[in-house]
Amino acid sequence: MLNSFVIANPNRCLGCYTCVVACSAAHRKSGLQAAPRLHITYSPRGTMPVQCRHCEDAPCAVVCPVNAIEIRDGMVLVKEQACIGCKMCALVCPFGAITMNGTFPPSIPKPAGQVQSLLAWLAGQKTVAIKCDLCCSSTDGPQCVKVCPTKALQLIAGDQVERLIKLKRISSVAVVDSILNEEGE
Amino acid sequence: MTNSIPEIGKNTEVIFVIGSNTAECHPLVARQIIKARERGARLIVADPRLTEMANKADIWLRVPAGYNIPLINCLLHVIIKEGLFDSAFIKEHTEGFDDVKQAVEEFTPACVAGLTGIPEQDLIEAARLYARAGAASIIYCMGVTQFSFGTATVVALSNLAAITGNLGRPGTGVNPLRGQNNVQGACDMGCLPNSLPGYLNVTDQKNRARFEKEWGVKLPAKVGIKISEVPDAILDGCIRALYVFGENPVMSDPDSNHFRHAVEHLDLLVVQDIFLTETARLADVVLPAACWGEKDGTFSNTERRVQRVRKAVDPPGEALPDWQVFSALARLLDYHKMNYLHPREIWEEVRRLVPEKFGGITYQRLDQERGINWPCPAEDHPGTPILYQGGKFSTPSGKAVLRPVLFDPVQVPGEKAASFKNPLTGSLSELPDETYPFVLTTGRRVYHYHTGTMTRRCEPLDQVGPKQLIEINPVDAARLGIADGDFVKLSTRRGSIAATAWVTERVPEKTVFTTFHFWEANVNELTNHTTDPVSGIPEIKVAAVQVKKISPAEAKQLYEEKKEKYLVDLTREVATKFSQGRR
Repeated sequence: MLNSFVIANPNRCLGCYTCVVACSAAHRKSGLQAAPRLHITYSPRGTMPVQCRHCEDAPCAVVCPVNAIEIRDGMVLVKEQACIGCKMCALVCPFGAITMNGTFPPSIPKPAGQVQSLLAWLAGQKTVAIKCDLCCSSTDGPQCVKVCPTKALQLIAGDQVERLIKLKRISSVAVVDSILNEEGE
Repeated sequence: MTNSIPEIGKNTEVIFVIGSNTAECHPLVARQIIKARERGARLIVADPRLTEMANKADIWLRVPAGYNIPLINCLLHVIIKEGLFDSAFIKEHTEGFDDVKQAVEEFTPACVAGLTGIPEQDLIEAARLYARAGAASIIYCMGVTQFSFGTATVVALSNLAAITGNLGRPGTGVNPLRGQNNVQGACDMGCLPNSLPGYLNVTDQKNRARFEKEWGVKLPAKVGIKISEVPDAILDGCIRALYVFGENPVMSDPDSNHFRHAVEHLDLLVVQDIFLTETARLADVVLPAACWGEKDGTFSNTERRVQRVRKAVDPPGEALPDWQVFSALARLLDYHKMNYLHPREIWEEVRRLVPEKFGGITYQRLDQERGINWPCPAEDHPGTPILYQGGKFSTPSGKAVLRPVLFDPVQVPGEKAASFKNPLTGSLSELPDETYPFVLTTGRRVYHYHTGTMTRRCEPLDQVGPKQLIEINPVDAARLGIADGDFVKLSTRRGSIAATAWVTERVPEKTVFTTFHFWEANVNELTNHTTDPVSGIPEIKVAAVQVKKISPAEAKQLYEEKKEKYLVDLTREVATKFSQGRR
């Protein structure tokens, strides 16, 4: 079976960030990095959240030197505990779906104010790769899809792709048939 | 709004959005626009920025900040020239058409294209699309009003709706989107310097008598001071004590440094809020208020719909709902009639005093129905989602009054204005020059609410929008050697701020955009406090500005200065003291 993934429709997306906040909240609840895993991307061609496509031959999993990225249950998953933060996966990802994020040690308060990210260094900070995991630790599927007010996001399940392909083949037979029949008339 | 929100999704054929970043600032209204588009409705957007709405528009008119009037007058010009107006509606339900016709004569597509850079064909197409629609709706927001000619622009828009007969029917109208959940309700209740609850003019003895009888006091007959006039009134000595509630003017008022300077001259500053805001940190007395989830009552939204809100949790500590604070204060000032047990009693008083608008809206009905749009004069009245049905207007003649609107970027010549009866004029109070060559325009981002008092305390939201961004066009950025993510300093005649550059086509060339969400770089230190002569609204949406790339070290220094200026450490000190006191 093919991997599942979430994809957005830029014609419907308002850039309202509800998905981003829901993503952050869901992962915080699961004890994972709370940084959002989808990224609202603005361009003159449209706006939509971009997230992991869960590639079948995922380049991120191929390059990971410590096997922290694995493909299982129809998903590409990062084991945040195993990740060493080497950033190779982020470099090879064709969609820009992987970001690096660090946890501040709880004993040290977060620095106040805005400093450039390179300056925001703290001893003991652990930085790992994070990306969409289809909310596999929650029981009711990807939270972004659930909360989107314009239904711009949808989950494409692996078997759904196969089913769609079959349906399209059937309709393409019908198309060829009707062309031939028209020619015959 | 003259019409209700669901009509956009259901009835409107052409939507004209002007000066509204609907997707970011009113996402639920934007959802109706998406719904309308999927039903086949067409979308015209006038905005200098490539907002989400502009990105989805059939026609995007990239109007430079400050040039709304020539744009609207040009649409009127084309509609009149091509005979696309509704002559029956004009004849029966409006007055002043000939003046408007004469005023828009000079705003030819060629002339306005030259003035604004919008392609001539787009102007003509937009005018045709709007005028030919069975039901066309105008949606506007602060990008129309926050200019020294905001009122004139709104009048130009109502001219547009009136001459095409787009009023009083489902899916039509002139629809301002109000910025807060209850700003409509606040105005309805008389939080305006010139009116009593229900928009009853305070200068009319009959209106005052109505309230004097109920309240047992004599009411002042004089129109009060507008919020934008407060700083100067303080400096003139007219105001010596200021009581601020539900506002954070140090962040949200234009030319914040001027406001700050004025506040120093007060004898007393009282701030009532849910957190220790930037303004509260300057106060002599801070009163803790309950927030929306901690109180009962009603909110009235942008479509004039009165809705019930119910308390979810008790207010923390000594915090009280605003009405209880005011009542307690009134009693201390020896006025004992302001003695209510529940917001319902206050609402009953409103119904009694302004029955023509609110008489039929009972708590019982609000519990059963999903809100009621005023006017609703009787309990068997369904409410009024659509105003001016049948072309009946609330003017003395019962007709829509069309007024000529004139514009010149520098100044409308006196003799031209004198040739019209009762004209409105517009010109920009600050144009770019050699020292300040860019245009600064301001707004909001979806993830923060106004001055960030609430949203910046919400971790997921602050994670999404942790810092101020200054939008700058790639062409300008290249010329100034600014890369995406570099620190940029903006300076106007009134102040300077520094923040991170976002190099993007969202803004046109020679224009920069930023917000008022962050004390680290509050754009209102830069904005202009020139005001509209009618409404007093300040020109927050346009100013002349200088843009300069700076080093991270310089940015850090400015950050430290702002931190001191906004007394950021005070919040931590107070929080620590408070928690120790509790222990």
